[in-house]
This record gives sequence, structure tokens and C-alpha cells, in this order.
Amino acid sequence: MLQCTTIFQRDGHRWMNFGQDTDKPGNIIDSNQLVMVDGGAAMLLDPGGAEIFPSMMAALTRHVGVDQVRHVFLSHQDPDVTSSLPLWRRVCSADLKVYIPWMWTGFVAHFDPDSRVTPIPDQGMDVTVGRIRLRVLPAHYLHSPGNYHVYDEAARVLFTGDIGAALLPPGSRSNVFVERFDTHVQYMDAFHRRWMGSVAARDAWVAMVSKLDIDIIAPQHGLAFKGEDVRRFIEWFGALELGSGLAAFEQVHHHA
Amino acid sequence: MVSARIEETTSELFADCLTAFHAYDDLDELAEDLRILSLNAELAAGRAGDKGRAVRSLTQYTRALVSRLAVVQADIIGIKSTTYATSAAALRRLGELHTLEQASAEMGAATSEDTQQSGRKALEKARAETLRDVSENLGQMIGGVHDLAASTGQVLEVVSQSGSIATNIAIEAAAAGQYEAEFRTVAETMRRYVGLLRDIIDKANAAVTAAGDKGSALQALAAAAIKAMR
Repeated sequence: MLQCTTIFQRDGHRWMNFGQDTDKPGNIIDSNQLVMVDGGAAMLLDPGGAEIFPSMMAALTRHVGVDQVRHVFLSHQDPDVTSSLPLWRRVCSADLKVYIPWMWTGFVAHFDPDSRVTPIPDQGMDVTVGRIRLRVLPAHYLHSPGNYHVYDEAARVLFTGDIGAALLPPGSRSNVFVERFDTHVQYMDAFHRRWMGSVAARDAWVAMVSKLDIDIIAPQHGLAFKGEDVRRFIEWFGALELGSGLAAFEQVHHHA
Repeated sequence: MVSARIEETTSELFADCLTAFHAYDDLDELAEDLRILSLNAELAAGRAGDKGRAVRSLTQYTRALVSRLAVVQADIIGIKSTTYATSAAALRRLGELHTLEQASAEMGAATSEDTQQSGRKALEKARAETLRDVSENLGQMIGGVHDLAASTGQVLEVVSQSGSIATNIAIEAAAAGQYEAEFRTVAETMRRYVGLLRDIIDKANAAVTAAGDKGSALQALAAAAIKAMR
């Protein structure tokens, strides 16, 4: 069953993290599904794959009505992010707005040919949910070439998709937030080195987010960062050596 | 779950359609063999002069039948393409229906919160809509089966008429003098091709009949499921 944790709340403005599904099959990557609510409207951020739709639907409706869900944001094209889209479109209202990176609209159509989406341009865009203006920010090449994060200036929450992701051993979570950054690094290290391939993109992202006021970084996998761990994570990621998969090119054996 | 039963029968229906399509795999080659036979027979008929006049007409009629087979083959290719598309759509929708059913099961009877009640209603509505879409896709698949049956009927007509032509050529052979052996060979070869065409028809017919039965069962299943949801 998916656990719901409210990571921010003030005057009806809420961010909820749905994750840590103990019943999930072992071969399906663990994921966090974020929900932002304000003024009777809600946005699902990276609502998850088709396999976890039943769990997510059951967990979500304990707290949020599906008729409140007016927006679905997809940070990039991966199936653990997007493949439940046709199901959400079935249960949510007909005027549901779906935001997808412009690069991936034609690809997502392969499993949801009937969807009408709002393509997100390269530079991002603003989306208003209830009273709150959310900023959709570019995060291209980290890892997907068409990739976005969502910044809520009022809540000081930054949803970062795969940046900040950690692959934790089953049963090792006791909290939705990182408690000890120094021991948490081991669960992020290999993932970020392999999946994040562009140093230039990483540096541009670090420069961008360093100008934002952020209390919470919420990734799509693993634990969220708050307080001082936000700064620690940005510094750690900014100094990390990326592109570990490049070594494979040197290992190719050429036949004589 | 109703989706599982419908999915199983839909997969079986699709398998029957594939069997029928495969039965026609050799139709092109057989039609070409028939066309070449008729050309050679026409040349022989030409050499036979007056004794070959009737055979010449029969070979020209044979080529008209070959053209009809080409039209049927083109129709079958079109039906095949549509069947692949509609069965893919049906199976995709059935996958969605299955997941929606799982979501309903996971929510159970929980209605303590207003949000849960609205969630259950939304799921029921989504299931009903998806089932209607599935029913529409299945209707299109079943339409394809009927079209395939019609094409099979047309090939059967060609078989019947080709059989008659072979018989008439054999009759003409008896009076063809020095060309008798040549005309008899044409008649026997044509009978062999007609036999092969009958084999194709028999295989296709068996598969189309099985598909038709499954189609009727599916329509009944889908209608019962939609009625139950109402």
C-alpha cells in the first residue's frame, strides 16, 4: 500500500508524497508520486506507471477527490512516470490538463493516442493551481533531453524528478526525508554518475536552482531533502563526476 | 474479473483470424500458377487452330477468374490490416479495464471519506466507458470476420467455376486429335490447382467459423458486462 506523507502544508496549500509501497512487485522500480493541492484544485506530478495506478488511486482518494485533480505534470517520458496517463484521463474530469515536454508528445502517444496535451516549451512555463503559481523549469539532459522540474515559490518546494533519486534497499526507509546525508549518498552515487550524462547541463541546473529559495527538494525516487540537506545535495551533485557509461565505449572490441 | 474472460476470448478470436489469414498465404502463388497455365493453354489452343477455339475461350475466362482472385487477395490484405489495428486497440483497452478493475478491488468498499466515494464513482464510470470502447473494438473485429467470410465465399465461386472450366477443357481434349494429350494435361493441372484452392477454402472456412463463434460469445459477454454495470 502506498504511504501518504504531507511534506508541506499551510492554509489549504499542501504538497503530499505518495510512495514507499510495501506491496509493490520487486521488479518494478520504486517511485514517489507527488501531489500539490490548493484552493480545491490539485496537480499530480509524475503520477507513476500503470502497474501502480491501482495503489495510487486507492491512496490518493483517501485525501484528494479525483474531481479536484485538474492538472497532470509529466517531467519526462519514462514509463514509470507516464504509463498510467490513459488511466488518469479516464477517472479525472474531461477538462484535465496534461503537461508533457514538447519533445515527448509524439512518443507518449504510443500508449495514449487519444490524449490532448499541453506541450512544455524548452524554457518551461508557469502553471496556476488554485491560488498558486508553479514554475515549470528546464532540467534538460538530466537525464532526459526533454526534462522539467516544478518549483513552488510559496511553499519553497522543488520537485526534481530523477535528480536526487536514490535506490534504497527494501525496508530501509524510516522517513520520507533524508536523516543522515553522509550515509544517504551511497544510495544516490551510482545512479547519478550513470544517468546524468551532461556536465554542462548539471552546471547550468546548479546555477539555476542556487538562485531559488528552496526548503524541500522532492525527487521521484528515494527520499526528499529538507533544510540544510538541500544545500548539501546541490553541492554534492555539483561536484560529482558524471557519465560513468562513457567507459563502455573504450571496452568495445573491434574485429581485425 | 470480466476483463480477463473477455481478454482470453479476444485473444482466441485473434488467433482464429490469424489462422484464416495464413490459410491464404499461398493464394498469390496459386493464382499466378493458374495464370501461367492459362497462357500456355491459350498458346496451345492457338496452335490447334479450329480444334482449339473453345479451349481458347475457356483460358481467357480462366484469366478473368485469376483477376478476381487478385482482388480478393487485396481485400484480405485490407481486412488483415484492419484486424491487427482493431485487435491491438481492443487488447490495449482490455489492459486498461483490467487495471481499473484492480483499482476498484484495491479501494474495496471503503467509502468513509467523500473523496473515496467520488473515487469509486469515477472508477465505475471509467470502467463502464472502457467496456463500451472494448465492445466497439470487438464489434469492428467481428465485422472483419464477416468480411473475411465474404472473401472466402468469393474464392469458393472461383473454385467452382475453375472446376467447370477444367471439365470443359477435358471434354474439348477428346475431340482435339493430335492436341488431345496437351489439352488433357492442361485440364488435369487445372484440377490439381482447383484442389489446392479447395484446401485453402477449407482451412480458411474452419478458422472463420471458429472466429464467428468466438465473436458471438464475445458480444454476449460484453453485453452482459455492460448490463451488469448499469
